[in-house]
Amino acid sequence: MHKIAEVEIQHDIMLANRKLAKKNQKILDKDEVFAVDVLGAIGSGKTSLIERLIQEMEQPMAVIAGDVISKFDAGRFEKYDVPVVGLNTGKECHLDAHLVEHALHDLPLADVDILFIENVGNLICPVDFDLGSHIRMVVISVSEGDDTVEKHPLIFKDADLVVINKVDIAEAVGADQDKMVDDVKILNPDVQVIKTSLKTGQGLKEIIEAIEKFMNE
Amino acid sequence: MHELSMADAIVKTVIDAAEKNDAIEVLEVTVEIGKMTLLNPEQIKFMLDVLSEDTILAGATFILEEIPIEIECGSCGYKGEIDSEGLDEYTPILICPKCEGHEISIIAGRECNVKNIKIEKSDEDAQDS
Repeated sequence: MHKIAEVEIQHDIMLANRKLAKKNQKILDKDEVFAVDVLGAIGSGKTSLIERLIQEMEQPMAVIAGDVISKFDAGRFEKYDVPVVGLNTGKECHLDAHLVEHALHDLPLADVDILFIENVGNLICPVDFDLGSHIRMVVISVSEGDDTVEKHPLIFKDADLVVINKVDIAEAVGADQDKMVDDVKILNPDVQVIKTSLKTGQGLKEIIEAIEKFMNE
Repeated sequence: MHELSMADAIVKTVIDAAEKNDAIEVLEVTVEIGKMTLLNPEQIKFMLDVLSEDTILAGATFILEEIPIEIECGSCGYKGEIDSEGLDEYTPILICPKCEGHEISIIAGRECNVKNIKIEKSDEDAQDS
């Protein structure tokens, strides 16, 4: 003879990640590290942008390179003599707060002012997972098509800074870069949208100023 | 495709609760998924079925309920659920239904909540609890 029972659980899996993310931010704040979650599609220029920021910004930096196989991007950052932790997600399409916590323990945070966390190239899955960063910078490029923003609204809704990269080739790929800016503004009226070309250097100074402004807020 | 990791977390949460409650079998699991998550309930359900094999959840019925989207408008102060019937999937985060402003914050609809489970206990255990 068995008995059936109902058990209330009320465990929000998303909330569990958000709690871990808050813990990560506390770890970062303890050492006064400003963390930027860098999100964007595959090939939008996330790694190249971080490389340029490492070269152009004066603050001591560190990088968490998240990828399905992270050694390629991690190797690129190591050339600049900054602390780097590669996070392999294996089969997963995004970083989560738990993975990032492990990486934080492997970084000399006391000697770091800015931490770039390069997320897995993907405009969908990372949206659901806060990492504990202070800002989310979304990097897309014109070569992904000028309907990219419309097709992935949530990531832009949550963004603190949006970069539209490779504008030097917009004409060649038939992309309307101003439409992309307008589409972001509909979703997120107050966000700063910066048009860049890492090839010509256009917009790089504005990104640095925007990040520094967030740091001083 | 983070349905796999979410389904894995759901299964682990249920196994943990089932063991704590001395279940001998899990009959039913109810999960609430926010309409504004980027999770596909169909895929979650498939993953749950696969991951349940050879666990205490094997054969359980999974009930997936939807949590509606609630927003707060920074312009007019509207706070509440959005009737998204007939609208594009993401229209609720674009336009306030009251003032048609764009200063929208999403206050509900991003959850993935393991709500409750129905378990079978042996009579002896049932009397203990």
